[in-house]
Amino acid sequence: MDTVASTAKLNNDEIFDLMKQFITEVIGEEFVEEMDITPESSFTKDLEMDSIEIVSFSEKIKQHFGDQIDFTGWLSSMDLDQLIDLNLGTIINYIQECQ
Amino acid sequence: MPIIKVNNRDVHIQELNKGAAETVLLLHGMFSNLSVYYFNIAPILAEHFHVVMYDLKSHGLSERVLDGYDLENMTNDLCALMEALNLDKVHLAGYSFGGLIALKMAIRFPEKLKKLAIIEAPNPNDERAHGLIDDYSKDFLEHYVENFTDTTKVRMGKRQMERNHRMYEYLFHQTSIKKDMVAEKGFFSDPAILAVDKEILLLYGTYSDCLDTGKDLNEKIKDSKLIAVNGDHNIPIQEPALIGNTINTFFIN
Repeated sequence: MDTVASTAKLNNDEIFDLMKQFITEVIGEEFVEEMDITPESSFTKDLEMDSIEIVSFSEKIKQHFGDQIDFTGWLSSMDLDQLIDLNLGTIINYIQECQ
Repeated sequence: MPIIKVNNRDVHIQELNKGAAETVLLLHGMFSNLSVYYFNIAPILAEHFHVVMYDLKSHGLSERVLDGYDLENMTNDLCALMEALNLDKVHLAGYSFGGLIALKMAIRFPEKLKKLAIIEAPNPNDERAHGLIDDYSKDFLEHYVENFTDTTKVRMGKRQMERNHRMYEYLFHQTSIKKDMVAEKGFFSDPAILAVDKEILLLYGTYSDCLDTGKDLNEKIKDSKLIAVNGDHNIPIQEPALIGNTINTFFIN
């Protein structure tokens, strides 16, 4: 469970696809089918993810990237307004910077 | 997802800083989940402590369970979890209903506890909590979300509304939660509270409906200290860094 699946450097499109895969696993395919997920999609407003789903999503990032990325630490540095406005593009940029 | 079996049931746990010498265990409230700690409070505590968070039964990602929502069963669950994780003695922090579980632990199993932090534990005799269950309907949830989401600023969409509705429907109409909560009405009159011999930090919101309960507990428990934090019942969401740092300092010293 704790093993890191991949350490290969990913480009923006690959990170986007991986994030979409994680979101699908967390909220379920039936909901994702109805959504148009783009880098502009915000977690809370567009994807309607609640905090326990964001915990699951964070865990998936942790499992995949291991110590390379402190995703939870990064999220915890944000205030509530920043968290609410957080979109996929910002996360992709953050992961890209950490790799 | 770290899901472990405790008493043959799936329990969702999260752990930080596993190698630390001392452990802090965090209890969330009713109709909430461990995420109330996960993003801000737990990382602050994890700078010094091994931190364990878990979802109570039927909450978050833990398994749904039909009964055992009274404080005796909830503390039994906590003991079983401690055993499963090989934890002999921990610092314990509980928010809202989790604060009541923490207090019950101090009465039943003081030998398993170091210090306690109780955040916004309500008086179980408060009729409003029981009324909420009686009045529950989807309209109520929509009205509630419309009017009370200002404090947490997160507006619920359709999918979340449905998800929450399903959780409330299950808990209120299929489980024994209501009966179990009503059965705890007299908990604060239990003389055992007066005999609690633990160092306890009470954290309450300055504008919270529960502040008087905090004052009451402060009077009852001899080794307790009450700190009022700017905010209402939602102080862990409104002031996470302040709550995290205050608990951290209290547990360290």
